Amino acid sequence: MSVTPSTGDNTERALYADRPEWADVAPVAQYENIQPLAPIFYTPEYKDATDYFRGIMKTGEKSERVLELTETIIRMNPAHYSAWQYRYETLLAISAPLEPELVLTNAFTKASIKTYQVWHHRRLLQTALRDPAPELAFIEDALRADVKNYHTWSHRQWLLAHFDVPELWAGELPFIERLLAYDVRNNSAWHHRFFVVFERGNASGTGQETEDVVRRELAFAKDKIALAPNNASAWNYLRGVLDHAHVPYATQAAFAKQYTVDSVPDAEPDVLDLEDPPPPHGAQLPCVAALEFVADVHEAEGKDGVPRAVEIWRALADTHDTIRKKYWEYRIRDAIANASEA
Amino acid sequence: MPRSTPVDAYPTRTSELQADTEDILEAQLPLGAEEKRVLHRDLHLQFLVRNLIQGFPARYVSQDASQPWLMFWTLQAFSTLQVGIDPVNKQKAIDTVMEWQHPDGGFGGGPGQAAHLLATYASVCSLAIVGRPGPGGGWDQIDRDKLYKWYMSLKRPDGSFIVSNHGEVDVRGIYCLLVVAHFLDIVTPELIEGTAAFIASCQTYEGGFSSASHPHFYDDILSAQRPSLGEAHGGYTFCSLASWVLLRPYLPAGNNAPRVDVRRLLRWLVQMQGLESELGGFKGRTNKLVDGCYSWWVGGSFALLQALGVPATAPAPAAPHASETTPPSDTPSEDDWDDVDDSLFNRRALQEYILLAGQHPAGGLRDKPPKNPDSYHTLYCIAGLSAAQHYMHPSPSRREEVRAAWTGADDARAAAFADILSWTEEEGVSKVVGSSANRVNATHPLFNLTVTHTEGILAHFYKQTIPKHVPRASRH
Repeated sequence: MSVTPSTGDNTERALYADRPEWADVAPVAQYENIQPLAPIFYTPEYKDATDYFRGIMKTGEKSERVLELTETIIRMNPAHYSAWQYRYETLLAISAPLEPELVLTNAFTKASIKTYQVWHHRRLLQTALRDPAPELAFIEDALRADVKNYHTWSHRQWLLAHFDVPELWAGELPFIERLLAYDVRNNSAWHHRFFVVFERGNASGTGQETEDVVRRELAFAKDKIALAPNNASAWNYLRGVLDHAHVPYATQAAFAKQYTVDSVPDAEPDVLDLEDPPPPHGAQLPCVAALEFVADVHEAEGKDGVPRAVEIWRALADTHDTIRKKYWEYRIRDAIANASEA
Repeated sequence: MPRSTPVDAYPTRTSELQADTEDILEAQLPLGAEEKRVLHRDLHLQFLVRNLIQGFPARYVSQDASQPWLMFWTLQAFSTLQVGIDPVNKQKAIDTVMEWQHPDGGFGGGPGQAAHLLATYASVCSLAIVGRPGPGGGWDQIDRDKLYKWYMSLKRPDGSFIVSNHGEVDVRGIYCLLVVAHFLDIVTPELIEGTAAFIASCQTYEGGFSSASHPHFYDDILSAQRPSLGEAHGGYTFCSLASWVLLRPYLPAGNNAPRVDVRRLLRWLVQMQGLESELGGFKGRTNKLVDGCYSWWVGGSFALLQALGVPATAPAPAAPHASETTPPSDTPSEDDWDDVDDSLFNRRALQEYILLAGQHPAGGLRDKPPKNPDSYHTLYCIAGLSAAQHYMHPSPSRREEVRAAWTGADDARAAAFADILSWTEEEGVSKVVGSSANRVNATHPLFNLTVTHTEGILAHFYKQTIPKHVPRASRH
C-alpha cells in the first residue's frame, strides 16, 4: 500500500461527483437544514471535495481513497484540521507506511508554513517514526523562508525535548550561533538558546547549571550587546540568565554603565576589557535597556540606591523612553513606597 | 521627527524591516488637529455587514474550519461599535451556530467538523451575543453533559488540554475551555486539576508566555521547571493571563501553589508597545513588528493585571478643581491625560495607532498599512480601542453587590462568579482620542464581550439574579 501522490493541480482532477469509483458514497451538503449567516463562497472543487468528506465521515470509511480525498482538501485548505485528523486516523487504520507520508508532508510544510496543522501532523508522524535527526535539517531549511516562524521553532523545541538524546542537542549551539551571526536581533534564536542551555534538564539531574555555563552565557550576551547595544533580545537574555542563576544584576553594573553615557568615548581604551566589552563606535547612546538595567541595580541596593534609580527612571520617562512614561513613573512610585515600608 | 528604533550602525534583516515599517507608519501621521483622528464607524459597519449578509469571498476558504471565529469576530465588533443585530439575522446567527455543535459534544469549525476548543469558545461567545433562553434560542440547546465529557477526554496528566482529538496542546485552547466552562457552569475540581500549574510553566525568561510547555524531563511531570515551546508571544500571553485570573479563586494556599512572576510579565507587556515612530502600536514578540491585533492581546492584558495587584491603586477620578471650572469631558487635553491616567501603557498612543494606521480607508481594520482589512483584525483593533479608552477594573464594591444577591452555597463557585462579575468600567475616567463620537463600548477584559452580554449568559446558566450596576455618584 502506498500513498498515492496527487497531481497538485486540482483543476485537472474530475469532481468526485463525476468519478464512477466514488458513486457508492453519498455526498453530504454542509448546511442541509438552514441558510447560514455569513456564508463562504466556495469554489465548486472545494464544495465537491468537502461534501464527499462529510459523506465518508458519516459512514466511518477509512481506506486508501480517503487519503486521496483528504489530501485534496488539505491542498485547498491547509487549515482544515478535521481533514488532517481523519487522515491521520486513516493512516493508522490501514497501517500505511508513514515514511512516504512524511515526504508528502514536506511539500505541504514548505507551501503552508504558517498553519498549525501541518506542523502538528509532522509531530504525530515523528512520534511514530522515531527518526528525529533528519528532522532538524528539515526545520533549519524551513526557517530559511521564515526565520522567526513560531510553529517551526516550537516544533524544533518539541523534537529536542521529546527525544532528548545527546546527538540531537549537540548541534544546537552552533546552529543558534549561525542564526545570530545572520541576525543578532532574531529573538526566536535567543529564546531557543535559553531553552537549549537552561531548560534542557541537564545531566546533573537538578536543572542547575554549572557556574562555567552561566559565566559563558553572560559573556555571550555581553559580546552580542557590544555589537548592537539597542537590541532588546540580548538584554532580555542577559537579564534572563542572571534571574535564572540568581546572580545579582550588580555583578554586571560596570558593563552596563558603559552603555549609559551620552556618546561613545573617542579615545580607545588602554586595555581591551574582554569581561565587559564596551560599546562599538556606531552605537546610539545612551542605550535605554542599559539605563533600565542600572536603575534596577540601584533599586536592589535598597533605600540608599532608590534615589539614583528614581533619577534614571525620571530621565527615561521624560527623555529617553517617553512612550513608556507611565511605566517609569509607576516604577518610581513603587520603589518609593517599598523603600518607605522597609 | 518621532524617536525611531536605533540601529547602532549594525543593520540586520530585523532592523531593515523595522525601519521600513516606521517609514510607512510615520507617513500616516496627519498634520493638524486631533479632530482628524476619526473612527470611520459607518465604513467598518458596512465592511462587517457585507461579510455577514452577502458572505465571504472565495479566498476565505482558508477560514472554512474557523466559521465560528468569522461569526464571533463579526458579532463582537458590532457589539463594541454599539450596534445590535435585527431579530431575523439574530435568529439566523443562532441557527447557524447550532449547526456547528458536534453530536458527541462541543462545537467544530463547521457542520460535521470535529469538535475543537477554539471553535467552542467562538460559538458559545457568539451565542452570548445573539442567543437567549428557551426553544430556538441556542442557550438551552447546548449539550452541557456531552461538552463536559468531551472536555475531560482532552485533558492530559500535566494539567493541559489538547485542542481536539489528536490535536495540539496550547494555552489558547485552555483559555477557550475555561471561558466556556465558566459560562456554562461546568467547572469542577477534576476539570481544572493541574491547569494553573501548567499555565505558570508557560512563562518564559522574558516574562510573557509561550504556546505550551513540555512535560519535564524527569519523573515529576508537574514540576515547575518545564521547557517552553516557543518564545513569549502576545496572543499566548493574553490567553495565559486570562486563564490565570480565572483560576485564581481555586488555587490552593501555601508555598507550593503555582505562581506567576507578575513584575516580569508587566515589564514584557510594557516593552511590547512600539515607539512614537511606530505610532505606539503593540508588537507580539521582541524585535518583531507592531500589528493592530496586539492592541487587544497585549493592550487588553493590562486591565487583567489589576487582578494580580498591579498597579496597587485604582485610578483617581478627575481632580475637584478641574470639575468646578470645566464640564466633564471624554476628550481630555494633554494635561488631563497625565493627571488622571494611572494606567501602565500609553493609552493615547494606542488609540492613535488604531485610528491612524489600523483603519483601512475603504472600511474594516488591519494589521498595519498597506495591508488589507479582515474580520479578525477588525475585531481586535476595535477591542484594543475599547481597552485603551475605558478603565475596566475589578471593583470590590461591585463584587459585594453580586455576592449579596447570590443564592446558594458560599463556595469557590460563588467566589468565581462574583470575581467575574466584579469587572466594571470605572466611571469618569474614560479617555477618547478624537471626538467623543469615537467612543466605543467597554469590553470585559476576560472574555472580549460586553459586560451586558457576560451578565446575560451567566445569569441564565447559574440561575442567579445579577443586581443592576448602580454607577457611583460623583466622587468630587
